[in-house]
Amino acid sequence: MSEDTASGRITEEGGRSLPSVPGRYVVGIVGLLLLALLPLLANMELGLGVPGVFVFVVDDLFLLHLTTALYFGMFAMSWDTVSGYTGQISFGHGLFFAVGAYTSALLNLGYGIDPILSIPAGIVLAAVAGIVIGVPALRLRGPYLSLVTLVAPLILLQLFIFRSDVFGGELGLRNPENFLGFGVNDAAIVYYIALGLFVAIMALLLVVTRSDAGRVFTAIREDEDAVSSVGINPAKFKIFAFVLSAAIGGLAGAMYVHTPVGGPTPTELMSTTVNVEVIIAAVLGGMGTIVGAAIGGIFVGIVPQLLDSSGWIIPGFLPVVGGTPVADIDFLIFAVITLFLLYVLPGGILRAVIRNGRRVRNSRRGDDGVATDGGQSERVFTRVLRGWREKRRGDDDE
Amino acid sequence: MSSERQGSADTGATPQRESYGPDDGILVVDDLRKEFGGLVAVEDFSFAVEEQEILGFIGPNGAGKSTTFNCVTGFYEPTAGTVWYQGEDVTGRPSHEMVNAGLARTFQHFRPLHDRSVVDNVALALVPDKLFSFGGLRGGTRDRAARLCERVGLGDDLHRTPDELPHAGLLRLELARALATDPTLLLVDEPFAGLAGSEVESISNLLRELREEGLTLVVVDHNMRGLLSLIDRAVVINFGSKLAEGTPEEIRNDEEVQRAYLGGDL
Repeated sequence: MSEDTASGRITEEGGRSLPSVPGRYVVGIVGLLLLALLPLLANMELGLGVPGVFVFVVDDLFLLHLTTALYFGMFAMSWDTVSGYTGQISFGHGLFFAVGAYTSALLNLGYGIDPILSIPAGIVLAAVAGIVIGVPALRLRGPYLSLVTLVAPLILLQLFIFRSDVFGGELGLRNPENFLGFGVNDAAIVYYIALGLFVAIMALLLVVTRSDAGRVFTAIREDEDAVSSVGINPAKFKIFAFVLSAAIGGLAGAMYVHTPVGGPTPTELMSTTVNVEVIIAAVLGGMGTIVGAAIGGIFVGIVPQLLDSSGWIIPGFLPVVGGTPVADIDFLIFAVITLFLLYVLPGGILRAVIRNGRRVRNSRRGDDGVATDGGQSERVFTRVLRGWREKRRGDDDE
Repeated sequence: MSSERQGSADTGATPQRESYGPDDGILVVDDLRKEFGGLVAVEDFSFAVEEQEILGFIGPNGAGKSTTFNCVTGFYEPTAGTVWYQGEDVTGRPSHEMVNAGLARTFQHFRPLHDRSVVDNVALALVPDKLFSFGGLRGGTRDRAARLCERVGLGDDLHRTPDELPHAGLLRLELARALATDPTLLLVDEPFAGLAGSEVESISNLLRELREEGLTLVVVDHNMRGLLSLIDRAVVINFGSKLAEGTPEEIRNDEEVQRAYLGGDL
């Protein structure tokens, strides 16, 4: 990902000669091109130019890890659609991921249905799960709804454990067939399928959130009564957001289990860690932006893998963790990095990059760019929390 | 009060207790009742709004004005009673349906969307209630929103955020947003609270102009002084039931109204 931001700064300058295309679009397209070209760099050493420092090789394993990260990115985008935009914070989004994945895996393993048909079935069932979770969202607001989303995957997990004969319990199921039969030896193709879907889903969600529906979503996040007071039915849009999000989460989950790396197990699909990671991904990338969630999803998907395979050892002079191989505590390090980034980049990676890009450009032009986005800096997260506080207060006094 | 209670039990012997039919006005409220647990906030309250009038809806704080309002606009479900709008029974309809039927409202505590500019606040009200609509992408919506902002006097504040607006500006924004839904009847909740004298005058003028253009207005306020010069007719509510009804002159001279206001606020 370091290449992404570095090249970002360069194209930021290049974008100035094309005033009709804002710099961030150029950055985005360059980022996607980089992802698209990655398999062509197979077996070349990438690094920072210093021998031995942060060198990694784009091999098949890396591409498969990145495939996982792309599906996680899709999953993060689906979370962002419902939670970042409408403010209905879901603490159990793994439910949709798991429903899509298990449906498709069970149909494939149990009935021999080809993934090309079982995956759509997984999407449909995930969408139904979206309605099941979305309907309480019409009555419950704020923390109360979040509790529903938190409990729902626990119920599903208990069901999976109770009927281990069908669902494989906590160990999960064995791996179903690969999508179109592409296995470990076709890593580049598996990767390109994931990338294609990733781009398609991102385009779809960008269209939805930039259309009128997106305006209504964010207005619901701000004030639901204000939305209905201008003649728009918030319930309809909330259900729509839930169903859309669930269907895409289900698609990501279903595709994931039909890759050679992913399998239908509760740890991978619906554990508390997954539910939390998806929130980290979207918030870290930039909640309420879709693109930010996509970046965050890839980040969360790939960084622990990179740390795991880095082979570094933490310097001995550090207390507690000194002398430990990074691979042993990769998730700990990842969590610390995340916490640090959340602290220094409030509003997420995407907003920070756009803001700095603008500042760089404006300072070159000699403009004072502070006033232009001075009013927009409040974080989505802060808004949602404020909304919760207001709702709790509102329950008492009106 | 005790005589009124008796009056409410029969079929309307006193003139203040007449019952209304669906065609008595553009908006007719008959025997509206709203209870919160054991508390009766609005008690068998009836009134009618005639087309293209400015009706004042007056009452001291806590008299049940906003509750009545919320029942009429679908934010609360009435406990009993009937609401007719343009001859149709609309009791208990959800608020967005009321708005689409042509009955818009503003909020007493302004509820702008803090995350977007003034013009985008108004543009939201122009979005149709459909899941798939892309009018916003063509830019026409924004032009219409900008025209509405200019109409209410926010032409210079299009790209400000609501947090940067003064109190009167927020009121104008509420009005613009309500007007964007293309209403035939507009309920304005406590517009004059917290406004300076000159601002009361300019908002009053705006409301009068809107009436000239064909809008029917119901203006709620507890402050009679600003209101009586604006309205054609007033309904006074106290303790959840009707205290008086009539022209501003009649209201001003009504003893019961004077008593409700402790003789002071007139």
